[in-house]
Amino acid sequence: MLRAINEWLQDMGRYPAMIASARREQQGEGGTDFLARHLREHQQRFVDALHPQRMRVRVERVIQETGSTKTFRLRRLDGALPPFRAGQYVNLFVELAGVRTSRPYSISSRPGLDHLDLTVRDVSGGFVAPHLLATVAEGDDLETSGPCGHFYHEPLIHGAELVMLAGGSGITPLASMIRDQAARDWPCRVTLLYGSRHPDDVIFGDDLEHLSAGTDRFRLVPVISEPPAGFTGRRGLLDAGCLRAEAPDLASATVYVCGPPAMYDLCLPALDELGVPRFRVKRELYGPPADVTGTPGWPPEVQGDARFVVTVGDRTIEARASEPLLCSLERHGVVAPTVCRSGVCSLCRTRLLDGDVFTPPGSGLRESDREHGWIHPCVTYPLSDMTIRVPGV
Amino acid sequence: MTRRYDAVVVGAGLGGLSAATLMAHRGLSVLLAEHHNVPGGYSTSFVRGRYEFEVALHELCGLGQPEQQTSTRGYLDHLGITGMVDFLPIDDFHRSVFPGLDITVPTGREAYTETICGVFAGDEAGIRRFLGRVFAVSDAFLEYEKVVTIDRPLGVGTALGLPFRWPVLARYAPCTWAQVLERDVTDPQARAVLSQIWAYLGLPPSRLSFLYMSMALRGFIDLGAWYVAGRSQALASAFATRFEQLGGDLRLGCGVRRITTEGGRVTGVVTEHDEAIETGIVISNADPVTTCRDLIGVEQVPASWFRSKRSSRAGCGSLCVYLGLAASPEELGLADHEVFFNASYDMDAQFQRMHELDVPQETVMACYNHVYPDVSPAGTTVVSLSSLMYGEPWLDLAPDEYVATKNKLAAGLLDQVEQTFPGLRANAEVVEVATPVTNMRFTRQLGGAIYGFEQPPGDAVLFRQPPKGPLPGLYFAGASSWPGGGFEPAMVSGRVAAELAMLLQRPHRKGALDAPRDQ
Repeated sequence: MLRAINEWLQDMGRYPAMIASARREQQGEGGTDFLARHLREHQQRFVDALHPQRMRVRVERVIQETGSTKTFRLRRLDGALPPFRAGQYVNLFVELAGVRTSRPYSISSRPGLDHLDLTVRDVSGGFVAPHLLATVAEGDDLETSGPCGHFYHEPLIHGAELVMLAGGSGITPLASMIRDQAARDWPCRVTLLYGSRHPDDVIFGDDLEHLSAGTDRFRLVPVISEPPAGFTGRRGLLDAGCLRAEAPDLASATVYVCGPPAMYDLCLPALDELGVPRFRVKRELYGPPADVTGTPGWPPEVQGDARFVVTVGDRTIEARASEPLLCSLERHGVVAPTVCRSGVCSLCRTRLLDGDVFTPPGSGLRESDREHGWIHPCVTYPLSDMTIRVPGV
Repeated sequence: MTRRYDAVVVGAGLGGLSAATLMAHRGLSVLLAEHHNVPGGYSTSFVRGRYEFEVALHELCGLGQPEQQTSTRGYLDHLGITGMVDFLPIDDFHRSVFPGLDITVPTGREAYTETICGVFAGDEAGIRRFLGRVFAVSDAFLEYEKVVTIDRPLGVGTALGLPFRWPVLARYAPCTWAQVLERDVTDPQARAVLSQIWAYLGLPPSRLSFLYMSMALRGFIDLGAWYVAGRSQALASAFATRFEQLGGDLRLGCGVRRITTEGGRVTGVVTEHDEAIETGIVISNADPVTTCRDLIGVEQVPASWFRSKRSSRAGCGSLCVYLGLAASPEELGLADHEVFFNASYDMDAQFQRMHELDVPQETVMACYNHVYPDVSPAGTTVVSLSSLMYGEPWLDLAPDEYVATKNKLAAGLLDQVEQTFPGLRANAEVVEVATPVTNMRFTRQLGGAIYGFEQPPGDAVLFRQPPKGPLPGLYFAGASSWPGGGFEPAMVSGRVAAELAMLLQRPHRKGALDAPRDQ
């Protein structure tokens, strides 16, 4: 009984201390004084330094890499360059033929420099790349997103044995990763198998050779599919035979693949054949499929050139079945926020109020988004007339 | 013409979603504006490759079986949320790994008590006495909640009568968890096990409100631990969809730049797209200090209010490591939903460490495949490691040190966890590391806090300010408001804020409803 009373008194006796402590802090003798410390400004500055939403950049140099490829060296005008991980990309915002659109380009320079290199190749049928190659000149100002993407060497789980398979302009993120390795004196061992049609198409050939000459930690294997007479290097494609011969340590490596879709069709089965578990194979995004009507699951009754009416707010626009909805919207001046254009960043996440759509595998939707009627227009194709609500529009 | 709504909710975290949905349910015209393009705040998920990761929810507290008729389940029923979400019961409460101790505790008053008493037989009497206090306090609080409701807020009479009506509340209100625990329980191991879920509340026992911790512990023990099919994003999305069904106007990717005032009362908001909106009620899901200082402006708010808030501190954030594993839970030897790893029994030392950019001494690993097998593709597993860390030290880093720093800490956590569960990294297909800075980026929480403001006795339960702001028409929802941090409290906070707003703004609300609206 006495003990219970004593405990009571003890507990009630804590009030004065509690009140005094709050008082003390309110008088500014301790505690966090939000007004003085400006934690809010501090944290917003730090977040913006890491993840700027937009960057204004000036083209400092244009470097002709091959007949069809240029590197644009960019310097940021509105702040310091944010750090990035070798292999990441920025989305480049452009306006051409009256259409505001964007394209993600991998950064080909390494982190830690005062500029970013974007390397652009003219691909047949492209909309933006030919325009950039033809018109962008030194001194021009452009706008990009901050660096993003998940295609990079992750030291936590990727190990130190790296095999990289590049095709054509797919070299760009891998070049950044290799240059980064070189700048840090090769913490990993790297083998690069780089497929091109002709020796003249090899991008960064001199630089890569220079890097491999100085170390035994980096082996460069150009693979040429249409070699000229007298070519002595590796011929053919990045198939199982090539991988077996040139990358014998494949089984214990992390494999990075970046190239045109046809290359994935060849490489991925080859890697399976050689016993490389799929979870160790890292693929860079390569945008929406070239011809979506060939994707498994596409309804055969819908023609690729079928046109549907899309209602966005108080506007209606026309969209073609085989074109990503994001592009159709942009054609009509409805610009949804985006950086990846590949179903990953989720920035274009859009409400589907009514209508049918086709979504190829890998559209990056959250499970609950499917149930609640949300789509990623960058990898969504209309199959009927539809009504949507686009964020920020 | 300026748009007018009966109410505007700033921020679509669970608190904002809850407040907005309740007001829409009552027939108010409501705008819910959220800066991020996905609703939910921490109640969300993200996709990497073939994995979709739960961001924050480990175990949902306070829900209970339908027959237990908890107020939270009743509230979700009332709004029509329960029909849109599958709640999944989790088998065990938690497993705890300490140096020299590995214990799994179940939910249920008897099972929990017997399990802990069985392991710490020498302290049995003290443990029973202590848990008796925990249950007495939380039962009294449930009684208190029935009497002091929204319609009858705590008046002076009730406040003066409180010590006599619920003496146990008055008695323990100024106590920390440790002050009560250490009187009854002497074994440091038993103390640590009984205190394990301090990690869900953000302060160590020596600083944490005994009342708040008691309610949380009682919520799990009596009502079980729950998860949500489709991850916590499904819960947030259900609120968002329901809100729209009820006629609410949900705007994502549309932050609020300013809350406007006139003559000392709230009159509207201005969005980040520079649209001005009129309203008589603003419920802010941003914390009260941010709301008043950054959205309203220091000059518009009485200085005494800011002074009263200077004893509130931004709470801890988190370091999270999300792993997508290309092996099944069986292959990896993962049999539990929730495992706490403690490098020591010294929780104050763990807390000190939370202020440093060093490997945390305490982490909790959740493996969602047991409670929700569809959480990842067949033959794979998703796991997350979470440790508490304050946000401020991160802001002193140079930006280009950020990734290396977070990876160093993540590697340290994995080293610690792989002593019990080897093979995580060897089977990892995807890893993502999130820090308090990540929280700042996506939720804009002050300090990247995950449980809002800290909850010492002086800023918890009876002593936390009610959700009414310093200006008429202004209310607060979310973890930094009342009752506090956590998924269930966040939903409750929205309910309390909305109920209070509708009660106090009633005359105004009638006028607003009669007025023609530009829709």
